[in-house]
Formats: sequence, structure tokens, C-alpha cells
Amino acid sequence: MASNPNDFRTDIWMDWCPSCGNYGISAAIYKAYAELNLNPTKTVIVSGIGCSGKTPHFVKVNGVHTLHGRSIAFATGIKVANPQLKVIVHSGDGDLLGIGAGHFVALGRRNLDITVIMHDNGVYGLTKGQASPTLRKGLKTKSLAEPNMFNAVNPIALALASGYTFVARGYSMLSEHLKDLMKSAIQHKGSAFLDVLQPCATYNDIHTAEYYRKRVYDLSDNPEWDPMVKEQGREEIGKILQAWQRSLEWDNRIPIGIFYQNPKTPTLEDTLSERLPSYRETPLPQQPISREDGTPLIDQTAFTRLFSDFIVKVKKV
Amino acid sequence: MAEELSLLLGGAQGAGLESSANILTKIFGYLGYGTFSDREYFSNIKGRHSYIHSRVSSNKLPLSLTYPVQILCAMDAETVFTHFEDVEEGGFLVYDASLSNVKGELIPSIEPKLRERLKQTFKKLGIDSAIGSLTAYLHESKGVNVIALNYSEILSELGKRFKLLPQQASRYLSSIIVGAVVGLVQLDPEAINLAIQSRFRAKPELVEHNKFAVDLVSSQIRERYGLTYKLDPSRLGREEFLVVSGNDIVAMGKLVGGLRYQSYYPITPAADESFTIESYQKLIVDQKNLGSAVVIQTEDEIAAITSAIGAAMCGVRSATATSGPGFSLMVEGLGYAGQNEVPVVITYYQRGAPSTGQPTRGGQQDLLFSLFASHGEFPRIVLSSGDHEEAFYDSIEAFNLAERYQVPVIHLLDKFLANCISTMAVPDLSKVKLDRGKISSKVGVYKRFSLSEAISPWVPLGSDVVQWYAGDEHSEEGHIDEDPINRVEMYDKRMKKLEIMDKEIPPESRAVFLGSHDAEYLLVGWGFVKGVALDAIEELSKKGLRGAYLNIKMFTPFPSDYVNNVISEFEKDKVIPVEHNYLAQASMAITLNTGIKLEKAIVKYTGRPIYKHELVHAIEKVLEGSRREVLTYGQ
Repeated sequence: MASNPNDFRTDIWMDWCPSCGNYGISAAIYKAYAELNLNPTKTVIVSGIGCSGKTPHFVKVNGVHTLHGRSIAFATGIKVANPQLKVIVHSGDGDLLGIGAGHFVALGRRNLDITVIMHDNGVYGLTKGQASPTLRKGLKTKSLAEPNMFNAVNPIALALASGYTFVARGYSMLSEHLKDLMKSAIQHKGSAFLDVLQPCATYNDIHTAEYYRKRVYDLSDNPEWDPMVKEQGREEIGKILQAWQRSLEWDNRIPIGIFYQNPKTPTLEDTLSERLPSYRETPLPQQPISREDGTPLIDQTAFTRLFSDFIVKVKKV
Repeated sequence: MAEELSLLLGGAQGAGLESSANILTKIFGYLGYGTFSDREYFSNIKGRHSYIHSRVSSNKLPLSLTYPVQILCAMDAETVFTHFEDVEEGGFLVYDASLSNVKGELIPSIEPKLRERLKQTFKKLGIDSAIGSLTAYLHESKGVNVIALNYSEILSELGKRFKLLPQQASRYLSSIIVGAVVGLVQLDPEAINLAIQSRFRAKPELVEHNKFAVDLVSSQIRERYGLTYKLDPSRLGREEFLVVSGNDIVAMGKLVGGLRYQSYYPITPAADESFTIESYQKLIVDQKNLGSAVVIQTEDEIAAITSAIGAAMCGVRSATATSGPGFSLMVEGLGYAGQNEVPVVITYYQRGAPSTGQPTRGGQQDLLFSLFASHGEFPRIVLSSGDHEEAFYDSIEAFNLAERYQVPVIHLLDKFLANCISTMAVPDLSKVKLDRGKISSKVGVYKRFSLSEAISPWVPLGSDVVQWYAGDEHSEEGHIDEDPINRVEMYDKRMKKLEIMDKEIPPESRAVFLGSHDAEYLLVGWGFVKGVALDAIEELSKKGLRGAYLNIKMFTPFPSDYVNNVISEFEKDKVIPVEHNYLAQASMAITLNTGIKLEKAIVKYTGRPIYKHELVHAIEKVLEGSRREVLTYGQ
């Protein structure tokens, strides 16, 4: 039975600006978690720095508010150490594609079962609206002294190139749609990326709610759109290419929905389980390291056996 | 008969020197000798000059090296040019006879400064720069026994015997070196067979080839030269040795200590530790599963530290291993661990610094950096190990301290220890205890940063509670909180640990006085200096000069009273810091913590270890009045 979305609210006051896209994202979080009936003690939101970084404080599941750009790296340690946890990253576009881009790519390569939700508003809001890696060249948002000098990165294409096995885009004002995407992303086994377009009411006067309202369309409106890889190897290339092509659309029409989904690729947990027999059944935190009296599980005999290659027996005279 | 043997084996990087050293160490081990070997090499995969410098002892487990050496074995011409001055009068030089006409200035891999020094030396000695002239000089003026073997003949004989192509046979250059030492020291054939078998266990045909080559060379030496280096039989009386590098022993310590997550980004001289851990990550003994350690090669050192913090939050013993450039990247993460009271261990192998510095050489230049790295104030533990044995127990204790006090622990080591192969006693695990501090699985309302105690109860992430962490100043619940009173309470809670740690961690485990209190002078050092300091003290005691050594093992919390008391027993100009850095950084830490300002110093920052002979000389000079001695011996 689904729990109540309100059960996932904390009593911390949300200090985002009025009409911030994060309210829509939070609403989607509460509903998605309730519908998925997530266990708050076995769920962890990991965030970076900036407005998105505050997300975990407003959600009643475990929250780890980390450093700028490093949310994925912290999340990686958490998920590898305890694969039984649901680990969800909430980070900004600057966090993930600027200062933390290396980690973003690395997670795709690993296909570790983590969901990355990118709060994508084109600006660094908390430091007063500098251009973020998703802001297009030549645009001059409210607080920029001069138009942006750099080209934007294509987050969807970068996720595909990095190896994410679930790639989607949502829009913060379409909360119900976003909630469904979140649920699919969280349920996907493997590295999932969800790019969430959101207005920054204070600093981005170009990508406003009005701007997106006119352009956003759902990929699944087309009944023939099928992002799912059903057979590993054969379909992959075609599915990636069609997703890539859609990711290039922007100026007049902006697609949202699931771009690509491949549940057939082994996850890092699968690889680790093959290598380490007890990895899944007895996650690392549950493995004892010592006996009751505190002596190490690797005792004198075990040490000698384990490291016999290093031991030289002196010849008896 | 001699109690000891020092030897130097040199050749091009990638030519098999490590294999020679491994086999020789095992041979000496089977025969009960203690050995200690340093590997010196360039940041290079193939071709540049590298060498193994070893000390073999019949009556102790050596922990340092010295010059001159009694045996120098050269795989190539560069070794002869680089090390001919390292050979003792009456010692042995083994080289390839076909190189006799090779001239020093024609070897492109010799660095310009050494080439210049060689030119000056040849001029001074009045000889030309050919190896033949050099060996003739060594023989005539220093009584060195020059053993010219024809390497290509030996290899072609091997090739003929086993039908090997010339390029296949050339891989056995390392066996020529082993054969030379075996022949000169007249080592037991049974030990030789065992050592070769153990090295090439997986490849039986290599065992035969190696045995053949070693035999051929050692019998040639015996027949042609009849020379012998007479090494005393071992009087150590050991039944077994653990033969390990510093990287290996730390890996073992971590695994025994319950390591479950290790992250790393490839860097010299730390990466080998993670390799060893990964090789033994399945802790299966007699079909019994004792757990497993996950090793993750991360995308950079920032991810190495931050993922290790994430894993530690989940309640697993978690660590990362790195060197200076990597630690520089970890600094922000270190502060996060301090602010969030996460028990994470950073194993820090110092190398020649700053910047890229000397990637493959040693140093102790990062002490002050490790003490103060990261912005702001937070408690940390900085622990240093003096030898392989200390490194083992310290690797375990690092986890205990991290978890007991919920602080990041920096375990300082260096390239010297990382790469030195030591024959040590198999560790005694009966005394080892794993202490996980206030870890619990409490259910109900939980405050991660409860102000009820400085060290709050610790329920790992993913237990049956919901909890929050934040790098921001936070409330007891882990939410952002900028209230000034909360700020003071939370700040005080963290900093109070400094006091608690200082009170609880026994001072005698943080600094160790070695020697007698009636000593006339005191050496003060840390890390790898321990071995050579003790050896130099012993050497000087033979001349009637009594000395002692203060081995500082923990720099924060610093054992101020203990160090103060020890130093106060000596006249201040008889207290001599010995360190591998320019500033005498430990001496500065002493001043900072005790107010005592030490004026003397013996320092070395060439990237090579301090050798006993040069330290003995430097101590004498300092005791005669010199304020500062800078050591430079070794290539």
C-alpha cells in the first residue's frame, strides 16, 4: 500500500524563492516516494551545493548534503558499501556538469544503481545567477554583465555517451509527469539520469515558465516512440541514436519523457556480486570484522593461510 | 667472516631487477638472514637506471641501509658508471665483459649533472671514461675484485640448452645477477631452488631456465675466480619471516583491521597497496568466508576520499591511499569528514615534493601540510609509522582511533617504506583488538550530532533510523543551522575531542623513547628515519658515544608533555632532529606544541634515504658544533 506523500515532509522551512522550480520537484519527490512506498531508513538523498543541495533537508528519508560537485562520488561510496539502499542524487546543473563533470561521466561508466536528478535552471542561483553549463552561448540572463561566452553542454547526449542506462527529462512545473519519471528512474536497475528543466524565477529571465510552456512536449505523445532496449546488443545502437537525435531539439520544441532505457546492461553490483560471493546477501556493513572479544576475524591462523605467499620458512639446520 | 653484507644490483628499469631482488631476499630468508632492500627508480617504465640496494644481516633484522657495498652487480654499463664509487675497498664488482669499451659520455640516459660529475672524477683520477679503465682503476687502487662475465655467452648457452630465441633468452639477465651473488656468497643450492620455485610457481618452465642460468653463472665464478664473500651463518634463530614491502604490510594491516571499502586513484608510491588489497579482497580461508573488501579505482582523488566518506557513513571500515598530489585534491573532502565526524582513514605515502616533485623518490615534506590541510578547525589524528612492523599495527589502530573518536585519521608513510622490502617477524595477532567506538543500531528518534556527548552515539546510515549530514554548520539533527549559540555548541563539541583524545591515547604510544636515559645526545625523528637513527646510534656507541632516539608517532594530538620531558633531560644542543625535509618540520611541530625551539638539524631532501654511514658522520659533526647538516649521499 502506498504511503502518504505528507509523511515524507520534514518540518524544516523551505527557503527557496517563491515560484522556484524546486517546489515542483519536491512535490514530485513526496508523491513518487509515497507511491513507491520507499522505506525512509533505507533511502538516501545525496546532494551537492546550491539551491538543489538543500533538498534532502526537506525530505524525511536519510539525507547527505555534501560538497560542491561531489554528490555522485559520495553516493558511489554509499551505494557500493550498502547495495540494499536506494540512493538518489539531487544536484544542480553546475554541480553535475561543471565542477563535478568527471564524476557524472564516471557514474555512467559504472552503471551503479544510483538515480541522478539534475535541477537544470541554467544559472548558479545561490551565488547570484552566473551562467551554468546548460546555458546557451550568447544568452544574457538577468544578472550577467555580458552575454554568456561558452557553448552549453548537452546533458542528455553526455549521459548517453557516458553509459547511463536510463536517460530522461522532465519539467518541474509538470509535477505529475515528473513524478512518474522519477518513479521509473528510481525503479530502473542501473545508473539513471533525469534532467529536470526548471525556471529560476529570480535569475533566469529567459527560461521562464512561459518559455517552457510553449515548447515542452512529451516524447511518448508519439505512439511509436519506444526508448526501451529489449535485447542487449541488437537494439542498443538504434535506441541510442534516436535518443541522441531528440536531445538536439531545443529552440522551438523541447522534448521531455524517457529518451533511453536499457535494463539489460549488468550493473556494478552485478559485477561485484560475481567477484565477491557474499556481496549482495551480506552487505559490507553487516559483515562482522571481529569476534565478540574484539579480536579480528582474521586471526593468526587465517593470516598465515591468507598471506602464505609472503611467508618464508627458514631452513632447519 | 662478516656479520653483514651490503649489495647493490643495478640495471635498466624493466630488465628484471625486481625479480632478482625477490629471489635473493627469499634465498637469504630460507637461510635465516634478515634482509632490507630499497628499490630506487625513475618515473619511467623501461630504460632508465634503477637499482636495488640491500643489506643482509646474520644477527639482526636490518631496518636501514648503508654504504659502501661489498658487492655491486651491474646488468648494464650505466650501473657501473653510476655506482663504482659505492663499492668497498676489496669488494666485488660484477659486470658484462663486453661493455669494457663503453664510454660514460655515450650513455644517453645518464643525466647531464651526473655526466659532468663523472667527467670531473675521471679527470681527477687520470683515467679515460671507458669501463675497462674504470675497472682497472678500481682493481689497482681500491683492491676491488673485478669479475667480468660474458653475459651474451651465458644467455646464448641458456638459449641453446632450452631452444630459446635470443630475445627470449635476454629476459634472463636477472638470473645472471642472482647467479653472481649466489656464487660470490656461496649460498645453499636448496635455498636457491626453493626461492626460484616460489617466484615462478605458476610457470614451471621458467623455474628450469632460471635455475640453469643461476647455476651456470655461480659455477663460472667459483671456477674462474674462486673468490668468496664469507658471510657468517645466521644467528637470528628465526623459524620464519614475512617478506613484504611497506605497501604490502599496510594492505595486510588494513585487511586484518576489518577494511571493507578502499578507494584509490593510481599514484606512485601508493597504488601497489590497493593492488595487494584487491588480490586478497576475497577473505576466504579454508572455504570459510571471513568477509570481503571492495576496492574501487575512482575517477580522481576527490572521488577517492568522498566515496570513502560515503562508505564510512554506512558503518564500514573505509580508507583511501594516496600520495602528496592526490592528498592535495582530497583536502576539501578531509574537511567534510572533520565537520561531519566521519571515521575515514587516509593512508598517505609521502614522496619528493612539491608539485609532481620526485614521483618515485622519498621524502617527509608533507607533515605540516597533513596537520593543517583543509580550511577551518576540526580534530583529526595524524599518525606516523617508523618501520614495517609499526606500519602493520598502525594500519589497524588507525581504524580504531577513527571510529572511537569519529574523526578522520591520516596515516603518514613515505616512499622509502612503501618500496622497501623487509624480512620481518610474522605479526602477533593475539594482541590486536578492533574497537569500533560508539557504533550501535539504536532504533527510534536519533540525532546524529547529539550534543549530549562530544562523541555522539553512531548509528550507521541505512540502519533503522533516518538521519542527516551537512557540510554546513548543522543542528543536532544534521540540518543547516546558523544560530550563533548552536554554532558555539557544535564547534565546541567537535573541538572537545582534541582534549579527549589527548587524555585517552597513551602518550607512550604517541612518542617512543628508544635508548637509555643516560645517553649523551638525543636524535628526534619520525617515520622512516627510525631505522637508520637506531643503527647510527649503535655504531656510535661502539666508539663510546651513547645516544637515544625519540620516535614521534602522533603529531595530533601531540604528546606535548612526554616530548617535553624527554627533551628536557638533554642539553639543548645535544638534541638533533633528523628529517627528510628542508625545514625540519617535526622540529617545528615540537616548537608549536611545547615551546621548545631546537637549533640543530640533520636533513636530507635528495629523495634518497638517509644512510647509516652519512648519518654517523653528521651526528659527529653536529656534536662538534655544527648547527645544520644536509646529507646528499646516494644516486
